[in-house]
Amino acid sequence: MDNLDDLKAIWHTAKTDTLPSSGEMLQMIKKFRRQRLRNKWLVIAISCLLILLMVVILCVLPFKMLTSYLGGALIIAAMVILAATTIKSLRRFYRLDNCSNLEFIAFIEQTRQNQIYYYKKTMVAIVILCSVGWLLYMYEPTYKHPIWFIGTHSAFIIYIAVMWFVVRPRSFKKDENKLNALKQRLQSISNQLK
Amino acid sequence: MTHFEDLYNRYAPQIFRVCLGYTNNADQAKDLVQETFISVWKNLDGFRNQAQVSTWIFRIATNHCLRAMEVAKRMPAAELPFELAETVEESPEEKLALLYHCIAELEETERIIISLELEGLPQVQIAEVVGLSSGNVRVKVHRIKEKLAQKFKAYGQFR
Repeated sequence: MDNLDDLKAIWHTAKTDTLPSSGEMLQMIKKFRRQRLRNKWLVIAISCLLILLMVVILCVLPFKMLTSYLGGALIIAAMVILAATTIKSLRRFYRLDNCSNLEFIAFIEQTRQNQIYYYKKTMVAIVILCSVGWLLYMYEPTYKHPIWFIGTHSAFIIYIAVMWFVVRPRSFKKDENKLNALKQRLQSISNQLK
Repeated sequence: MTHFEDLYNRYAPQIFRVCLGYTNNADQAKDLVQETFISVWKNLDGFRNQAQVSTWIFRIATNHCLRAMEVAKRMPAAELPFELAETVEESPEEKLALLYHCIAELEETERIIISLELEGLPQVQIAEVVGLSSGNVRVKVHRIKEKLAQKFKAYGQFR
């Protein structure tokens, strides 16, 4: 095992007969193709559906107070931001069909930075718009019934507070560790390619 | 037979060996072959022969290898052949296992470069896959060969 030809000869003894046939591979591909990036498509579909629903509600129901329209508009704005961010992220993935390892590493690093930006800026904007929008939107249907008003608003505020101060930091910490590990690994691979 | 099936039959064994060289784990290598051909299937219509089809497929495969970030933690996965250092006449399987083990100890991009080199890709094409100049690839291949020779020596196989 002292020269490249020896190594090549050994290398080519690897058995490849356990690989699926081309027909089996085609079947697997059709199955898995639908699963890939499914969550992103789901987010886009749900956001668009909510936008449509909110537009229909605002047009059909006879609201009298400006707060309802303002609240609806804020919720629509939050959903538009969410859908646009996810579409942008999907487009980046679909463009990734023929790039070298060096370009691919740059792509992963950009994705990592985008994820951090999403956590720190986009997600904050979406939650604030959605929360304020929902509170304003719910004002008109409940303001005449103090119990309902206090009940719905306080339940929502408690829910948002738990999500914001308990769930989000935990999930962020978990993802932050992953992202930091990824950063170190990317730096190591980038150094190898210098 | 469709174009995709032609590509699969021609390149799947090569891609499998390269992924096996990277992961040193047959199951992970099979998964990576599958991931690679999902991408090939998805992008086949958009591929306009700007690059050689083999360069394109090897780019996809090696990028999937790099993307499998968690794989690194588990390497080298396969055990060395039993009592290898004392064996004089190794079986082809043992030789192959030792080769994979030594490759698994290399850095990620080194694993990719040597796997493509052993697969018989011209160094110009390896340069296009990795994104380096061919001169740089030549130097790297030389260094990797030296590293591998040292590893074989350390395992008592360099004669």
